[in-house]
Amino acid sequence: MATGLPETVPAAAIEARAISKAYEGTLALDVVDFSVAAGEVHGLVGKNGAGKSTLLRILAGAARPDSGEIRIGDVRAVALNPITAQRAGVAVVYQNAELHLNLSVAANIFLGSELRTRLRLVDNAAIEREASALLARLGLTLPVAATLGDLDIAHRQQVAIAKAVRANARVLLLDEPTAALNKSQTDFLFRLIRSLAADGIAVVYISHHLDEVLAIADRITVLRNGRRVGVVTAGSVSKADLVEMIAGHGVSEVSERRRRSGKREPMLSLRSVSLPGYLDDVSLDVAAGEIVGLTGLTGAGARTLASVAAGVTAAQGAITLGGAPFAPRSVHEAIARGVSFVAEDMRQRGLVMAMSAAANMTLARLGAVARRGVINLGRERAEAVRLGHFLDLTPRDPSRAAMTLSGGNQRKVLIGRAVFADARVLVLEEPTQGVDIEARRQIHDRLRQLADRGAAIIFVSTDLEELIELADRIVILDEGRVEREFDPEGLAPEVLLAAIQAGGPDERRRD
Amino acid sequence: MTEATTSPNASAGKKAPTPRPWQIGRYALLIALAAVVVVTAIGNPRFLSTNNLLNILFQISTLGVVAAGQTMLLVSGGLDLSVGANLSVAGLAAALTILATGSTSLGVLAGLVAGTLIGCANGLLVASNRANPFIITLGTMTFLQGVAVVISGGSPVNGAGALFDLFGLGSTFGIPNPAYVFAAALAATWFVLSRVMLGRYAYAIGGNEEATRLSGVPVARVKVGLYALNGLIVGIAAVLLTGILDSALPNMGIGYELRAIAAVVIGGTPLSGGRGSVLGTLGGVLLLGLVSNSMNLLGVGANYQSAVLGLIITAAVLLQKRT
Repeated sequence: MATGLPETVPAAAIEARAISKAYEGTLALDVVDFSVAAGEVHGLVGKNGAGKSTLLRILAGAARPDSGEIRIGDVRAVALNPITAQRAGVAVVYQNAELHLNLSVAANIFLGSELRTRLRLVDNAAIEREASALLARLGLTLPVAATLGDLDIAHRQQVAIAKAVRANARVLLLDEPTAALNKSQTDFLFRLIRSLAADGIAVVYISHHLDEVLAIADRITVLRNGRRVGVVTAGSVSKADLVEMIAGHGVSEVSERRRRSGKREPMLSLRSVSLPGYLDDVSLDVAAGEIVGLTGLTGAGARTLASVAAGVTAAQGAITLGGAPFAPRSVHEAIARGVSFVAEDMRQRGLVMAMSAAANMTLARLGAVARRGVINLGRERAEAVRLGHFLDLTPRDPSRAAMTLSGGNQRKVLIGRAVFADARVLVLEEPTQGVDIEARRQIHDRLRQLADRGAAIIFVSTDLEELIELADRIVILDEGRVEREFDPEGLAPEVLLAAIQAGGPDERRRD
Repeated sequence: MTEATTSPNASAGKKAPTPRPWQIGRYALLIALAAVVVVTAIGNPRFLSTNNLLNILFQISTLGVVAAGQTMLLVSGGLDLSVGANLSVAGLAAALTILATGSTSLGVLAGLVAGTLIGCANGLLVASNRANPFIITLGTMTFLQGVAVVISGGSPVNGAGALFDLFGLGSTFGIPNPAYVFAAALAATWFVLSRVMLGRYAYAIGGNEEATRLSGVPVARVKVGLYALNGLIVGIAAVLLTGILDSALPNMGIGYELRAIAAVVIGGTPLSGGRGSVLGTLGGVLLLGLVSNSMNLLGVGANYQSAVLGLIITAAVLLQKRT
């Protein structure tokens, strides 16, 4: 729902002209113009690698353009650095907001510009007072003295935004702000963004969730391969229009799904599994060739259930794998028995960023390319190339360090690791979180292919479309119990959403 | 640029199209080495004499062996401060065994076993994840220094004559024997880090321990293995040093731990782990050796040498490429 632009076109709060930026000879941005008016919410969309992040970094002063000009109010610059950007009124909230979990809410908001007493000591009382006032002004009710680590992810993000706008920000850059939020948290965030815009702040909203962008943005800039392909008014385009602009062609519909009918022997079977505070008497069967989607509100237990099924978290109850008891004492043992886990948090729990894609993919079963402990580098490379081909990894060269890959390709590398480990049971958290449309389709296709080859797949997702597209069966958890099961065939996202939300009050427990 | 899939260190930092000031760090070590060589050669022509160069090689060998082992630990995000004390204890074990049995082979074996056992113990303690390796090995270092004094009665243990002939005096093809041990240690650790599963796991653990654990790598076992292997290498260095000194001294290893860590870090392996190479460590060891030698030849007073060395270590670390 676009609110439309004010009648008189105001001066842009931030404007980038003819920005170009190359990395290793590849043009990340190719003479891109970008402009956001004061009080406008401006969506920035494009596939991974389209140049969104590069543009964001340039506006935030974290990267230096090769050419072009940036204007913020009356500040003109060829390039900014983080400090000049901040002085000019640019505030950023990155996807992984850099907050200090061991400090209080107020301390986080004032970190780096602490208020002092006359003796130059940190004036905690004043900081808490000012922080309260700021939060109240933003319509947020957060305990300023609470330790940030005790708050849930949505509240931490609110703190990050409050911190960002504290120093009279004129431009607020938000990178995938809803990545970790559920529906009601997202709604709250949208209200906050609208009120910031109403105060005259120019908001840049980067997201892969086109529905959200269409809902929150006034105008949308679409990037493709480092070029601006268009700026549209949100009210004038449909999601399909946007998808076409982003992809450059209409995206083929969901890949064909093959679902076999009839009873099959379960590959993985959980009986009366409990983990006090997280899971309460849960039973779940997953057959070979089947893809089961787990979902629920934050803290409902879907993630914990996945982690238990993967053998990463221990719980009470009986689990059998292929008929035999499955109670691994280590992840090592779980993987040796054919159960692989793909964590959502790739940076912390997934990839070794400094290592090559190849080394990351072979990590879980390095012995397969080694003899008596000595790695056969040629064979490892061949295997990595084969996996890269299977997963449509770009660039194909598997000797590139994982940190140089885009988010979608990093996720493919992680899935490649599980494939290489010969997983018969594959457990994934948010398999396409932060991934562009094309990579998402590729990942879904590959997971389906793995299931067709006999793997049992369990995934946790908060993405309704993904659940409907990918799963053979959707299991909704609430308060640690299996609440309902759905057949995704013909299921409308609204129905699924209603079922997830229906579970009870939005009580938040931390996973 | 990165044809080998196993060189995570090589692929980092290659993204920037234009050189940035800190990229000097990539070549800082080579520049420093060249500068020391040129300045010293001009100041004292004797520097480039074969004798002097062989002398340098002789002098850096023990440190080089210890630093090679330490490289593996730093790559894995670990650290062993007790290698100096281990050097003393393992050397004493070798010398005392020779004294008691008269057999040099048994003595060598005792030194290697002692070094390995100490490394293994460190590994078990570190793998328990109860405390940081720095603190744990600070404890074992202090303990082992005490052990060294107790078992030696506080005085040198002589009688390792055969080892002195081999390492103190011996040379092959004109090159002192300790240099071969150094070269072998470098080659072995290079092989482990670039080709052996243990070495790959060291990079993985140093880069991201949690992700490595979730990949099913038996992290604790790998750590014990790395510390034990490092202990074995220290045992080799202990036998070498005992031979060079013609005796084992209870305090002969003191200071080796810090110089070894300095050499590794100068060589580009960060304390945080996840990257690094033995080749860099070779450069670090060479720099420390060349600077000491150079200061002697240029007549820098002994009182100033430590200060200069300190400045070089600090500068090298500051110039290092940040991630």
